[in-house]
Amino acid sequence: MRTLFWVLAIASGLPGKSILVPTIQNEKPALSAQEAALTKDFSDRIKAYIALQKKLEASLPGLKSSNDSAEIASHALTLRVMIIEARPNLQQGNIFTPEMSAHFKSTIRKTFQEPGSGVVRRTVQEGDPPKPIVVRVNGVYPDDSPVITTPPTLLARLPELPKELTYRILGHAFVLLDNKTNLIVDFIPDAIP
Amino acid sequence: MQDIRRFLRSTLILLSLSLVLQGQKLTLPLRSGSVRLAAIGDMGNGTTRQYELAGMMYSFHEKFPFDFVVMLGDNIYGGNTSTDFKNKFELPYKMLLDHGVKFYASLGNHDNAAVEKAYKPFNMNDQQYYTFKKGNVQFFALDSNYMDPKELAWLTKELQNSGADWKICYFHHPLYSSAAFHGSSLELRQILEPLFVQHGVQVVLAGHDHVYERIKAQKGIYHFVAGSGGELRRGDLRKTELTEVGYDQDQVFLLLEISGDELNFQAVSRVGKTVDSGSIHRNSKSNGGLATEQRDSRAN
Repeated sequence: MRTLFWVLAIASGLPGKSILVPTIQNEKPALSAQEAALTKDFSDRIKAYIALQKKLEASLPGLKSSNDSAEIASHALTLRVMIIEARPNLQQGNIFTPEMSAHFKSTIRKTFQEPGSGVVRRTVQEGDPPKPIVVRVNGVYPDDSPVITTPPTLLARLPELPKELTYRILGHAFVLLDNKTNLIVDFIPDAIP
Repeated sequence: MQDIRRFLRSTLILLSLSLVLQGQKLTLPLRSGSVRLAAIGDMGNGTTRQYELAGMMYSFHEKFPFDFVVMLGDNIYGGNTSTDFKNKFELPYKMLLDHGVKFYASLGNHDNAAVEKAYKPFNMNDQQYYTFKKGNVQFFALDSNYMDPKELAWLTKELQNSGADWKICYFHHPLYSSAAFHGSSLELRQILEPLFVQHGVQVVLAGHDHVYERIKAQKGIYHFVAGSGGELRRGDLRKTELTEVGYDQDQVFLLLEISGDELNFQAVSRVGKTVDSGSIHRNSKSNGGLATEQRDSRAN
């Protein structure tokens, strides 16, 4: 199976071969009233998280950049602990509500399974696999673990995030990650087919 | 008999030395006022070989005083402690850093963005993607781990507004690669290549695959994979019709010199062997400034 994957992968990389890929332009379809309300709710939850992050970070000594990596790492670690303490009992679904999770899952499934989605799956499969971890809210993406490229085609179809957050793929889970602290803010289990 | 042996040994040493010295010959023109840089990718593993390649870079810096180095991602493998930064960046490149050489990093899949983008010596200014100009060349450091609409919109605007003669994009995942382990990043290619063509990007530098490869010009754009700055996947290159020159037997760094409408390049191995060199000419009068001619290329 692995050999077959590589044969197909290498063959599809040859020049001159036409590759069917989903287009990335104008990917966000018009939303129904229900979807618009879901998206608004999602956006509000994201804003609330960012407000909390900014408020907590404001109480720390300012750090834009430093010659000392230890100082940067320490700043991130302190902020991470403060965020965990500020939202200690949150469970999966605190941002990806059940309705929003279903919406995300549908978009993800479409992106990974529609005709021409081979390149999207390949983007995820070709990277070095991240270290296996138990994905949980307030868990930490390991500092020494590689990241999987989040497919650009998928990113074009999802609600845009502020720069403090990213969407990441961890095994079959779809993760909302805090960029500054590598903290798992929320996730959708079994989202990646 | 002993004298003959001694003579043969001396001859052998001299011959080896002359080969090494010959291999270390600089092929770049060293034009006055030119933009000079080095490119390395997948370097930050802290191995002896990373240090040896860094030593060779310094040795070439004495002949070809480049001002800066672009880092093609996987800058620090396996952790972000101060020891990691010391052993995998500050010490191997100490001689270059001490001589004022600046490093401009892009993020690879093994990098911790939170720490690296705020680490001053990487000159990312707390940004995951950014641009800077040197002479008539504009560089675009992209984050290929997370190419979201925001980054694409930023890139489009920056390319549109760039008045530079040369536009060079660099990032981690190669749009074209003949290496077996990763190979070409097809989805990224579909998204980025039309932008690059439309806005006259002439050169793309990437890493990720732990080999050196120069790709035949694709739609007028020259792609280099230089992902063996510390890591090496020996024998991983499957030369295809994409490959102009490839080398997967040793660690390699790439030197670039840009002056007027000419870009010269030289790829050098850990032991100082030139594995590729040549020049690319920018066609300033037509084709939107795309590089359309290449000559003097050579592979050993």
